[in-house]
Amino acid sequence: MRTDRRLVRLLAVLWALALVAAACGGDDDEGTTAEEDADTTETSEAAETDSTEETVAEGGDFAGQSVTAPDCEYGGKISSIEATAEFEVTFTMCSPVPAFRQIAAFTPFGIQPEEHLEATGGAPLDNPIGTGPFVLTEWNRGEQIVYSANPDYWGEGAAYDTLVFRWATEGAARLLELQSGTVDQITNLSPDDFETVQGDSNLTFLPVANPNTLYLAMTAQLDAFGDSPGGDTVFADPLVREAIALGIDRQRIVDNFYPEGSEVASHFTPCSIPNGCEGEAWYDFDPDRAKELLAEAGFPDGFETQIFYRDVFRGYLPEPGVVAVEFQTQLKENLNIDAEVVVMESGEFIDESTNGRLDGLYLLGWGADYPHVTNFLDFHFSKSNPQFGEPHPEIYELLEQGSQIAEDAAAADIYAQANDAIRELIPMVPIAHGASASATLATVENGHFRPFGAPLFHRVNPGKETFVFMQNAEPISLYCTDETDGESLAACQQVVEPLLGYAIDSGAVEPRLATECTGNEDATVWTCALREGVTFHDGSSFDANDVVASWAAGIDAQNPLHIGNTGAFEYYSYLWDALINGES
Amino acid sequence: MLSFIIRRLLLAVPVVIGILIVTFFLARLIPGDPCRSIIGEKATAEACEAFERNKGLDRPLPVQLGIYMRDIVQGDFGDSIRFSRPVSQIMAERLPMTIELATTALLIAIVVGVGLGVASAMRHNSAVDIGSMTLANIGVSMPVFWLGLMLIWLFAATLGWLPPSGRLTAGVSSTPFYVAWGWDPGEEGTFRFLTFEFLSNHVIGNSIVVGEWEVLWDAIKHLILPAVALSTIPMAIIARITRSSLLDVLGREYVRTARAKGAANRRVVVRHGLRNALLPVVTIIGLQMGALLSGAVLTETIFGLAGVGTMLFEAITARDFPVIQGFVVIIALSYVVLNLIVDISYAYLDPRIRLQ
Amino acid sequence: MIGLRTVTKAESDVAATDLLDKPSGLWRTAWKRLLRRRGGVVGLCIIGFIFLVAILAPLIAPYEPTRDFIGEGDRTRRDPPCVHLLGCDDEKPQHLMGLDGNARDQFSRIVYGARVSLWVGFTTVLVAFTIGSTLGAISGYWGGWADNVIMRVMDVVLGFPALLLAIGIVAALGPGLRNTLLAIAIVSIPAYARVMRASVLSIKELDYVAASRALGGSRFQILRTRVVPNALTPLVVIGTLGIATAILDAAAFGFLGLGAQPPTAEWGSMLADERNQIFSAPHLVFFPGLAIVITVLGFNLLGDGLRDALDPALNE
Repeated sequence: MRTDRRLVRLLAVLWALALVAAACGGDDDEGTTAEEDADTTETSEAAETDSTEETVAEGGDFAGQSVTAPDCEYGGKISSIEATAEFEVTFTMCSPVPAFRQIAAFTPFGIQPEEHLEATGGAPLDNPIGTGPFVLTEWNRGEQIVYSANPDYWGEGAAYDTLVFRWATEGAARLLELQSGTVDQITNLSPDDFETVQGDSNLTFLPVANPNTLYLAMTAQLDAFGDSPGGDTVFADPLVREAIALGIDRQRIVDNFYPEGSEVASHFTPCSIPNGCEGEAWYDFDPDRAKELLAEAGFPDGFETQIFYRDVFRGYLPEPGVVAVEFQTQLKENLNIDAEVVVMESGEFIDESTNGRLDGLYLLGWGADYPHVTNFLDFHFSKSNPQFGEPHPEIYELLEQGSQIAEDAAAADIYAQANDAIRELIPMVPIAHGASASATLATVENGHFRPFGAPLFHRVNPGKETFVFMQNAEPISLYCTDETDGESLAACQQVVEPLLGYAIDSGAVEPRLATECTGNEDATVWTCALREGVTFHDGSSFDANDVVASWAAGIDAQNPLHIGNTGAFEYYSYLWDALINGES
Repeated sequence: MLSFIIRRLLLAVPVVIGILIVTFFLARLIPGDPCRSIIGEKATAEACEAFERNKGLDRPLPVQLGIYMRDIVQGDFGDSIRFSRPVSQIMAERLPMTIELATTALLIAIVVGVGLGVASAMRHNSAVDIGSMTLANIGVSMPVFWLGLMLIWLFAATLGWLPPSGRLTAGVSSTPFYVAWGWDPGEEGTFRFLTFEFLSNHVIGNSIVVGEWEVLWDAIKHLILPAVALSTIPMAIIARITRSSLLDVLGREYVRTARAKGAANRRVVVRHGLRNALLPVVTIIGLQMGALLSGAVLTETIFGLAGVGTMLFEAITARDFPVIQGFVVIIALSYVVLNLIVDISYAYLDPRIRLQ
Repeated sequence: MIGLRTVTKAESDVAATDLLDKPSGLWRTAWKRLLRRRGGVVGLCIIGFIFLVAILAPLIAPYEPTRDFIGEGDRTRRDPPCVHLLGCDDEKPQHLMGLDGNARDQFSRIVYGARVSLWVGFTTVLVAFTIGSTLGAISGYWGGWADNVIMRVMDVVLGFPALLLAIGIVAALGPGLRNTLLAIAIVSIPAYARVMRASVLSIKELDYVAASRALGGSRFQILRTRVVPNALTPLVVIGTLGIATAILDAAAFGFLGLGAQPPTAEWGSMLADERNQIFSAPHLVFFPGLAIVITVLGFNLLGDGLRDALDPALNE
């Protein structure tokens, strides 16, 4: 009885606490007001005005919309996007953007009907409407996505009726499904299965040429842009960095741990990207010279450090654990450096490495977003990236110059110098460009995997009414304006199209909803002529206002349709440097 | 008895609250933030600020906890950070798969386990007895994921008899019963809709009810290997308990008396032995249900089944706090209920325990 | 964890009361009885064998577990086993269980892996046992307020699906063998606490305890000299079975990528690392799994044997 009374009292206290907590939690605005005050800066005074305006263009009844940035100090590349005629959109940039077409061909810049975006409140997460060769029929969560061919497609439509997307996280499971014929194409073949597929006459082996790079990073100054920078590490000494650059047998790594088709990196950027391989090639493996350099630096017997990595499969690093151990072995054998292998959880790893807080070596890589050298070099060696320690002006000044030049050929010399500077300063050691592969049944005609973007499934012919594609995972949502994972982008791309697109076998840019996008002399104004007579899947007709509405929903943080799934619209923020009217 | 039940129910409430609070903080203790985990490694600082603002993650922790508790009390489990969909909706889609898997595994475990146990007890110390107990011992010692992989290798890759993964073959789906019968499931997001969705996602049950026999066969074919893998440990445990319990009962005096009176052996076993012997077995079965939910995580991963286990694991990787919290609470609630039922039935059987 | 959770309060109460009338020669008679049971003997032999393998690892294993053979001789990564006795070409280098993903000898890694698994099993149980039985003893003997708080906390821990709570703990602490052990131990504590508490409760009300108090013994002394030794017997059984479960759980963690970190040779991680090669290199999945099965089987058999030897009431 005594225990019961105490118990009742204890329960009463707990309930009271819960009620108090619930009551205090009721005020939703509590936490944010202080932050809002702190974040006010010059650029947000235009925040209250709705920057999407309507202007009547010449030629009569068409009222073209536009979205404009208040000024060019907000940090982003886009100054305005305007529907200058019923079938013409003009993009004005704040500074030269030579890679405009390559970026605009990316799936997140797909076009949906203005009315549909409004009807779904800016979040058509599971019901996108586009102009693509397939119409979304059903999304059976956890199981599959079913599409049917679009009979009114503006281009050459699919030769079959139904497209099905499925997924399996295990590479072995995907291959097994392919071998048993229950699916027609799979992605991401495990490197050990390359031979199996090549030897199987019922399957077709498809090498995937997506440019990527694995690099061994060395943090020279810890937390260089942080509140309390950690100062120099052992890697701040250029001799140490050079010793490591010469002391890794990269060919052995590629020969033993990478699938066929992979290459040792001669430069940071793969050579298939224009201007990627200008300048001198990387150092050869020279263990004796490496040891000499290390001794000169004051470490004749090596030193202790750590090598960090995350256990996540990527094209540039298909077997992270195994390769990390290989680096450990090589560092020990060639340079007598004792590197403890430390696996980190992915999110934490990215956070720490991107801020330059990892004290040691780490394995990371880069997969191309769009086919331009700026996508590789500018991200890693710009003056705002603390990943390798303090950025080197010898590199970033050249990159800033290069990114202003519209023509690839004209920029070649600058990029040669930049690559040479990278080679000289060794902020990291580029290791390999990893090949990956996918596979289809031999009965599939024109089975392919593009270097950029997901396969164009309306161009394959399975010889039957249904084509089944199996990828790594389920899409997160089908509104790719606000998604970043490859699985979502592949699924959206079948339904929603951007103005331009990537070719089936290279990074060349082709027309889609725009017949042509031309830039002015210094690449600050891009004008896109739109395709006429195209209808969306819901029957409405496509015009320039749909383009503006779709882009505005992503680029303009104050737009009422800027809702999406994450609400962050990452690719707009990242590829255009900043959102218009964002809080900075 | 009633006061015992009420006391236990009241005690269960702070336990669930405790679980909720522990989950809340434990999930946030995992290093790395949801933004980088969900948006990816190239997330810009601007994107992460917007993301955290939209999802309410920039508020102080006690405020977040308070809002969550207030919502849970009203039955609102919040929206998934990753999908922007209600957690209850995701639960309604995922739970049926796990329930089907666990129930099928349990059925296999009971049928085979009790059968083996009875056979062993009746032929005590014979080859059957030793053989099945050895198998049972080995069964209990196997890692579920290893067994799963070996089964896939044998039946799917080498023999090709069964599919290696997935719930249904591509393109095959079961028409929800409410569509087939013309019932209106109601608006998306309502409780009625959730219930209909939850029920129709039990593909095996749904296809029986609708009469789609092809779909049923396809679903069963896909479920055999995972269910067998998952059932192995409970099957072994049930076999052992059945055997020892039945042996115990068979040795008792009243059974010997019945035999001495000349009743046929089999009748003796069935009437007197089995009924009494099954009591502890029933209790163990109840407990195994809980263990099955736990083992389902690994099985679902290997066989690529879209159930609660895989979703929870993905949510942990992606730091999708509402999903982690919601799923854990629901699982914990079912554990509490199961434990409660077991303890109540034990108290019912053994008066000594009730008085504690 | 599955094995531990099936011991309910009620079951352990029954077990504890049945032990009350044991003479002090408990352990000796139990040992004799254990040796008479087939299962227990087999279990002992298996465990003895695994121990020998672990201790004599440097002698048994032909190579270092971390030594890789990249580019040496006629070898490629993930080579299948080559046993000269069984017909493998004499010119090919012998690797009894083949080569793993880093071209290391799998047989050596399995042999050294025995050390890790045994360490994992014993440490986890030791930690859980110590903390759990202390909590249970305090809870049972002092009763009242302490009892309620401790048992509610145990309920919260038990309320979680074990694997998920452990995943949560490891995710928060970071991957690695030590954190995995800690997580598994934490999750196992309630079982030991409950059993100890039940035993203590049943025993403390008995005459001889009351007599000891009447004769002037302190509470703590009684706890130590009378109550705990008698309560230990079910705990020993659970402990042995717990080692088996701990090894399985550690393997599960290795499988999920949260366990032992490279280049440590731990059976679960070895399995996990190669699970996508189930079709192209099944020997890399088969052998580590087999090693786990045999070891865990040994502990299970021993645990069962102990249980039967110590509790004749549950015997036939």
